[in-house]
Amino acid sequence: MTTNASGFTQLAVEDFRLTEEPYYLEINDEIRLFEAAYENNIPVLLKGPTGVGKTRFIEHMSWRLHNAEGQSSEEGVPLITVACHEDLTASDLVGRYLLEGDETRWIDGPITRATKAGAICYLDEVVEARKDTTVLIHPLTDYRRLLPVEKRGELLEAADGFLLVMSYNPGYQSALKDLKHSTRQRFIAIDFGYPDRDQETEIIQRESGASAEFARDLAKLAEKVRNLKEHGLGEGVSTRLLVYAGKLIAAGISPRRACQVAIVWSLTDDGEVQRSIEEVVTSIFDE
Amino acid sequence: MPDSNVAELVAKYEEELRGYGASLPDEFNRSATALSAELSSNQLDQWAKTGISLAGQSLRAWEAATEYFRSSPSIHTKTDFEGVIAWAGIAEELAQKSSLVAASFLKFTPEVLTHISLDELSEWSKQGDRLFRGNWKSGTLSAAYFEHTPDLLSVLPLHSVEKLVSIIDALTERSYELASTCLETSPKIFKELEQPDREPFLDFARAVTRASWADTRLYFERGPDLIASINSQYRSGFLELSAKVTSEVGRQAFPLFADAADALGQLPDDTHAEHINFASDLALGSPTAAMEYLKIVPFASSRLTPEQLREWSNIGSDVLISENNAEGAEAFFRLESTRAEAALQALSSRVELSSISTLLRMYAKALTGEQIAIYSVEELVDQNIGWVQESVATTEGSSIYLPPFVSTFEAQEANFQSYKVFATHQTGRIEFGSFAYKWNLDGSFTSATIEDREANSEVTSPEGDDEPKAAAVTAMQRYFNSFDERSLISGIFTVIEDTRVDAYVGREYGGIRKWLKQLQAYEANRRPRIENMPLRSAFVENLLRASLGRPETMRWPTVYREFLENGLSALKLVEEEEATVQDSAEVSAVIYDIAQRIPNITSSMADGKFEFDAPTEDMLSIQPAMPSGDGPPMDMQANEQEVEFENPPQPEFRGDFKPELVQLLARLKQQQEGNVDGEGTPLTKEQLKELLENSVEITIAEWAEGDLDESLGMFLENLEQAATPSGEGKSDDETSGSDESSGGDGEGEEKELPVEIDWSYYDEWDFRASDYRPRWTRVGQRFHEAEEEPEFYSETLRKHHGLVMETRKQFELMRPEVFKKIKRVEDGDELDVDLAIEFYIDKKAGIGPTGRVYNKRNKIERDVAVAFLLDMSASTDEEIEKQRQSHSDDDDDDFDGDPRKYFQWLAARRASQMIEPPKRIIDLEKESAVLIVEALEAIGDSYGIYGFSGYGRDNVEFHVIKDLDESMSELVQRRIGKIEPIRSTRMGPAIRHTIHKLNEHDSKVKILILVSDGRPQDHGYGKDRTEKEYAVHDTKQALLEAKRDGITPFLITVDKEGHDYLQQMCDDIGYEVVDDIESLPRRLPTLYRHLAVE
Repeated sequence: MTTNASGFTQLAVEDFRLTEEPYYLEINDEIRLFEAAYENNIPVLLKGPTGVGKTRFIEHMSWRLHNAEGQSSEEGVPLITVACHEDLTASDLVGRYLLEGDETRWIDGPITRATKAGAICYLDEVVEARKDTTVLIHPLTDYRRLLPVEKRGELLEAADGFLLVMSYNPGYQSALKDLKHSTRQRFIAIDFGYPDRDQETEIIQRESGASAEFARDLAKLAEKVRNLKEHGLGEGVSTRLLVYAGKLIAAGISPRRACQVAIVWSLTDDGEVQRSIEEVVTSIFDE
Repeated sequence: MPDSNVAELVAKYEEELRGYGASLPDEFNRSATALSAELSSNQLDQWAKTGISLAGQSLRAWEAATEYFRSSPSIHTKTDFEGVIAWAGIAEELAQKSSLVAASFLKFTPEVLTHISLDELSEWSKQGDRLFRGNWKSGTLSAAYFEHTPDLLSVLPLHSVEKLVSIIDALTERSYELASTCLETSPKIFKELEQPDREPFLDFARAVTRASWADTRLYFERGPDLIASINSQYRSGFLELSAKVTSEVGRQAFPLFADAADALGQLPDDTHAEHINFASDLALGSPTAAMEYLKIVPFASSRLTPEQLREWSNIGSDVLISENNAEGAEAFFRLESTRAEAALQALSSRVELSSISTLLRMYAKALTGEQIAIYSVEELVDQNIGWVQESVATTEGSSIYLPPFVSTFEAQEANFQSYKVFATHQTGRIEFGSFAYKWNLDGSFTSATIEDREANSEVTSPEGDDEPKAAAVTAMQRYFNSFDERSLISGIFTVIEDTRVDAYVGREYGGIRKWLKQLQAYEANRRPRIENMPLRSAFVENLLRASLGRPETMRWPTVYREFLENGLSALKLVEEEEATVQDSAEVSAVIYDIAQRIPNITSSMADGKFEFDAPTEDMLSIQPAMPSGDGPPMDMQANEQEVEFENPPQPEFRGDFKPELVQLLARLKQQQEGNVDGEGTPLTKEQLKELLENSVEITIAEWAEGDLDESLGMFLENLEQAATPSGEGKSDDETSGSDESSGGDGEGEEKELPVEIDWSYYDEWDFRASDYRPRWTRVGQRFHEAEEEPEFYSETLRKHHGLVMETRKQFELMRPEVFKKIKRVEDGDELDVDLAIEFYIDKKAGIGPTGRVYNKRNKIERDVAVAFLLDMSASTDEEIEKQRQSHSDDDDDDFDGDPRKYFQWLAARRASQMIEPPKRIIDLEKESAVLIVEALEAIGDSYGIYGFSGYGRDNVEFHVIKDLDESMSELVQRRIGKIEPIRSTRMGPAIRHTIHKLNEHDSKVKILILVSDGRPQDHGYGKDRTEKEYAVHDTKQALLEAKRDGITPFLITVDKEGHDYLQQMCDDIGYEVVDDIESLPRRLPTLYRHLAVE
């Protein structure tokens, strides 16, 4: 780890470890499930709509695992996150040669680094990646735990502690963007739904600093708005948006206005649906 | 003159007189005797001679003479002898024309003279004379005139009678029958009219007669009643206005008058002056607008306060005065203008359900998470399943029914919020489980005692009831069954459960608490007088008031204080958080027990004397132990007569609550869906009957007076129908009045059905008013039944093989406009630098490099959508041959006088007609459709083919031959074959519907091509049948709307005269007149190619 003169921290991806516990409220038994999977080298697929805490969960688990008993924070479990997009190629993941003067130099890609470092490699929104890219990870995800580095003619065995985790939002599902079965059947899937009203209240309160009463009202609003899914709304309101709304309220914005900008307008552009949600907002909040 | 002289005189003339008429001498004798005292013998003789000369005028003149003799004594009392002779002179003149008329004149003169002076007699006779035209009908009429004048003169002055005569005279030119009816009824009519109204009534009558003579009868029949409802002070003003209007509107005068009078009758008396004055002002600019104004006032004032109405009317009068647009103002006051409607809506505080039902549906869906439909209550009442109140909100468990409008408050916002409160209370019943009552289940605060209660009630149930009761169908029914007084328990349960729901709503939805409170307060102020209620009803009323948050309005006798206190503390329980419907049931049971011990007597409720203290919080804290059995002794009021218990009315915002029926419906629904789980066997008719007969939620008397069984049966049928789950998902949009058609979705499944009509409404442009007429036209979209064989299609292809090939080729050559970049190809038009570097690195590193380093711009499908709109009007039925013949008369009759040549020609013509029937315009349209389909399939543009026709604004037919998203199929081929001429050409709505369809479609380039054979025309598509302007303007406007929406419209017509109106209609919109009709199939694809490439 190096700290630059200008004050920012710059570190290699495999060195990134969370030092403070990221807040995460367990909804079901996902923590135990994940621990068990990690123990047994079973890759994990995190399913669920946007903003329910998939990324937060994996951060939390990374922190939790390297702070677990028997692990010192130095050799613990780093987290390497790759945001997938449609132009992501195999070399982007595995590594490539770079030109340096008249020479070429090999540089490891994130998945190679994770394999070597025994880190959790988190492929966010994996359906976005090209299909030929996802095939690359197949040998890593079964009993072999091998990463073929084709360009170097090498096979890399994953270090202990390496685990492949992917996230996936079935809401976007379309014929074009679905996981291949050969891929998805290599993972156990943990489903992330929206938390119930009490849990969500707790999350909002904790994350946003809004009062318990507002947090509860926001959670109630969320419940109502989620009822509108498929009826003008593509997806329900995420906990993340609720936290934003809570933060605005805590910052002194009137609750109705906060909900309008953080929830109503974020969710949809359809005037009629907006109006309906606003009516729910005005029913719940009195100013 | 002595009597002997009289006798002499009589003797002298008797013979002669007898010659004219047998009774004449007697009459003569009588009058001569009467006159003899006053007249000299000379005079008498002259008098007699005049009579005889009169009698000699004609065959029946003796009748006139009789009347002459009979009336003379009476006339002579009013005038001297000269006068009598002058009078006789008038009669003689009349008698020359008609003795009948003269007789009538003579007969009624004495009576008439009580109203007019002798000098006016000639004037009077002239009028009668005027009516006489020499035939017997006019004679009768004229005689009738003299007969009725005495009566008429008692109510009208002579100069007014003269007006009446001129009306009747005018009518005689049309119908003597009508004229005489009017004359006969006039005395009565005018007598009944108030004096100041008579003259104006007459003036308007004259105007009506001039404008539309046939309406005179209606006016005489109905007019007096119509104006009777108008404030008497302003009646004459109104009549004057009507008369003024008549000269402008002609035939419409009477209908307008009748409607306006009728409208005024619906308004309070004291507002008539204002409206009539306003209308009179309008009449200066447009008389029609004035009458339309009067007609619309009742409707407008049902939505606006007088203040707002004034504001609204001023907008309309501005249109008239400032914009100088009379037609606009008329449309405005007819409410056929978007501006008028918008202004009304903006001003009106009234909120209509139809305008917010979509919003509320989503709101309800959000609140409950269930698919809840919103309907107007009227629809539920129409279903006849037990709900009868049309004005209050309710729910039957899966839909919410709301009143069609709310105008309780003065502010629109408040009325809208009322709707929200209504909706929230009803969704609350669903959300907070009002219908989820389960048998004998403990609540959060209470434990169920209902089982014991049921056991007790069975023990004590009436002895005479031998019939075993059918098992209860629902838990709610069983619950109610456990009480003897169902009406009481039902009323109490309603109050308690609504209190619980209100409490929940208040807690859960802080934002509407304020409005809920406002409605509660509003309701609390409208409660019936508690002081007039018998005690037990007052008890329930007090609970209700407490639950409305107005305990200070409770009234209760102190002797029974403990009863109410216990009741209130029990009530308080359901306001607690977590309280469930089970708690409500239990609390209701406890309150029921208390109520039962209160005698339902009237006298002890002295006005406010025993005021109940406002209950404090701790007083009403929860008492887990329900009130004990002791209270004031029952015999306290023993000597009082108890009256039957009646529940106090429910507050409006809580609406109807029928848990028993709702549970039944749910049960029936379950049964129909086939999952009768747990609850065992299907319901029997007996069970249902039992439930319905006992339920207090339905009043049997309300359905039918006749056979109870029959009405029960019908009722059950309705219920079962309501429970049928069919089309539940789709019914959502039905309430929103303004609905556009469902557009592109779901059409795939519809096409196999026979004809399903999908209605949409569109505005129409009124160029005179410079405004849209809102929702003026109704377009019915239908998919053709397509039983026909696709012969036509293949036949056309065969016939035009060459042309088809040619067009296809041309179309295939068309360059697509949109390209997409494809990365990583071995050959392409640009180099990807990143990939090239990678290639170089790989090569250097000794790894087999991939040569895919190019990007390529590839063609993708063209992004064009086109809709063809074919005119299917009746005129397209016309044969082209005929049309051509009328234009060219070449060598047709040139047979050189050789009949053989002619027969050859005839045979050839017949033969050709046998093979090929004469071609019609529609056939060419169809052929064009085939060709264009072939061509478009070649380039893959999305295209739709539609036909339109119809009759009148309510019935614009829109036939889908191929929808935009539909793929080409045999069905489409068949539909093309089925295109047939129908009726009129109302282009505007058809264009608008096509625009709607294109808008739904996602394409970069959108084209609308309209193929027609003439100008737009339809019934009511213009002021009258001959007017063409209106239709042209509306079509133009529709085409402009298309342009505004980014659609390129284009018109093709085969009408040779098309240039003149197309120029006006199309302005800068493309159009083409195809001169050679038969070139249409060839021309259409060519045109399209140009359009789509531009």
